Amino acid sequence: MYCIETENLDYKFSPDQQVLKSIDLQVPTGTIYGFLGPNGAGKTTTLRLLLGLLRKQSGRISIFGKTFENNRTAILRNTGSLIESPSVYAHLTARENLLLLQKVYQCPENRINEALETVGLAHTGNKKAGRFSLGMKQRLGIAIAILHKPELLILDEPTNGLDPNGIIEMRELLKKLNKESGMTILISSHLLSEIEKLVSHLGIIHKGKLLFQGPMEELQQKQKQRSTTYLDTSNNLRVAELMHSQGHMPSHHNGMIGIPVVDKLELARLNRELLQEGIDVYQIHTQRTDLESIFMDLVQN
Amino acid sequence: MQFIYCFQAEWIKRKRSLSSWLVIIGAFFTPVILLFIKLIYYGKLKAGNLNPKFWEIHWKNSWESMAIFLLPIGIILSASLITQLEYKNNTWKQWHTTPQHFTTVFFAKLTVIIVMMVQFFILFNIGIYLSAVIPGLFVKGVSYPPAPIPYAGFLKQNMVFFITCLPIISLQYLAGLHFKNFLVSVGCGIALWILSIASLTWKFSFTIPYTYTSLYFLKNDGRFKQTVSIESWAFLYFIAFTVAGYILYVTKKEKG
Repeated sequence: MYCIETENLDYKFSPDQQVLKSIDLQVPTGTIYGFLGPNGAGKTTTLRLLLGLLRKQSGRISIFGKTFENNRTAILRNTGSLIESPSVYAHLTARENLLLLQKVYQCPENRINEALETVGLAHTGNKKAGRFSLGMKQRLGIAIAILHKPELLILDEPTNGLDPNGIIEMRELLKKLNKESGMTILISSHLLSEIEKLVSHLGIIHKGKLLFQGPMEELQQKQKQRSTTYLDTSNNLRVAELMHSQGHMPSHHNGMIGIPVVDKLELARLNRELLQEGIDVYQIHTQRTDLESIFMDLVQN
Repeated sequence: MQFIYCFQAEWIKRKRSLSSWLVIIGAFFTPVILLFIKLIYYGKLKAGNLNPKFWEIHWKNSWESMAIFLLPIGIILSASLITQLEYKNNTWKQWHTTPQHFTTVFFAKLTVIIVMMVQFFILFNIGIYLSAVIPGLFVKGVSYPPAPIPYAGFLKQNMVFFITCLPIISLQYLAGLHFKNFLVSVGCGIALWILSIASLTWKFSFTIPYTYTSLYFLKNDGRFKQTVSIESWAFLYFIAFTVAGYILYVTKKEKG
């Protein structure tokens, strides 16, 4: 079951400026879905379309199994969001900012204190939001998004302006919300390193096209497939022959033989076999391709 | 019910905002000046207070600058500032992702501006009364004005002045919602107000929607002699601008 599903979602700001091309987003219910892409890839446009901030031009948007245009208010009642920079009324306190939304959502008033405590802003008292640091404003934005305990949270680059400690806190908070209340979280970012420890599913968008979508393990599998184990031996030619005969696809790299990564038992067996063949093994090491490189490969290709 | 909740939220937003201060400052500006004038020229107070037309004269003096200058400018600024709160704080995108119909949001915000106008009229009337009676407390031998306060007449005039404000409210609201830049809506408003002042002597001045507060004052003063119903013109403009503003708002492609 998908919490968010889009089909052939296109968007053009002008006839010659197509921002989204047939986006088929599938965010499974109860997951943390990372929506990754470089700046200008179309992440914010997609999220704005999901929230009805931009009028859909073509395609289909379904949230909680309902089409957005026919169920806008019902969907938004169960959705919290933070799009780009935080939206806070600078002349009001943090509490007042939440109070006015509490009126609209008609959630219990004690949720205001709970939300403020959750994001660590309960102590701000009469301080106006305009005097908050960017990190504090960002946290207030999160408090606004979670005030009514939504089933779905849509966050567009929520860690902007946060210090490293704030980023870790935010990550832990989102994990907690997902784990404890089963909240589905769609979070966009342009940095894989920032969300790889958080998300269970990932979508990679570039120039308006969705290049990859699936569980994080699928990307990690790709990472494994692209990593190489290097063998430095006394007879590389013979090693290449042996590896080829066993289907390991050897390649030559700076006087070493490279093979796709194998599990540790297979590696130990290969090592034994080389020794039995009378080949001296000077060095075996594995060079892993990081997820960032895979992301860059996807984006650059 | 959603409208009431939305109105409550909008009412919280105006707290401590410049527009809410404008209502208070604007309402007491003229009465405070009149009060000082009366205190400076305290010698004339006794005779003035005993005048059987005291309240009518005081009322006219209070409304003169208000009707022609302060009220239109105050509305231009207040209505634009209310909508500017969303642009300035970058909050349209948050507000438009709350579970509210756009119609509710539009009319709740407009209602806040109208209620603020009512607040202004109440405060201004209190100011008028206080500026009439306070000077007498400080000057020996000056009694409370014995002439009866013509409540019914003043109430009627308040209502008509209020109706004459409606076109300015609705057009400024439309401009404030549509243009991100505060200067555009304020600039348009001031330009229209200048046009209205310049055209006051023109026989078709009643076709310009920002003239009505001035024309009504001049009518009461016997200086505007057209037989057209200013109130009707004002009300029709108000409906037309509100409908146009609503259509523009609801059909806007980007909602923040």
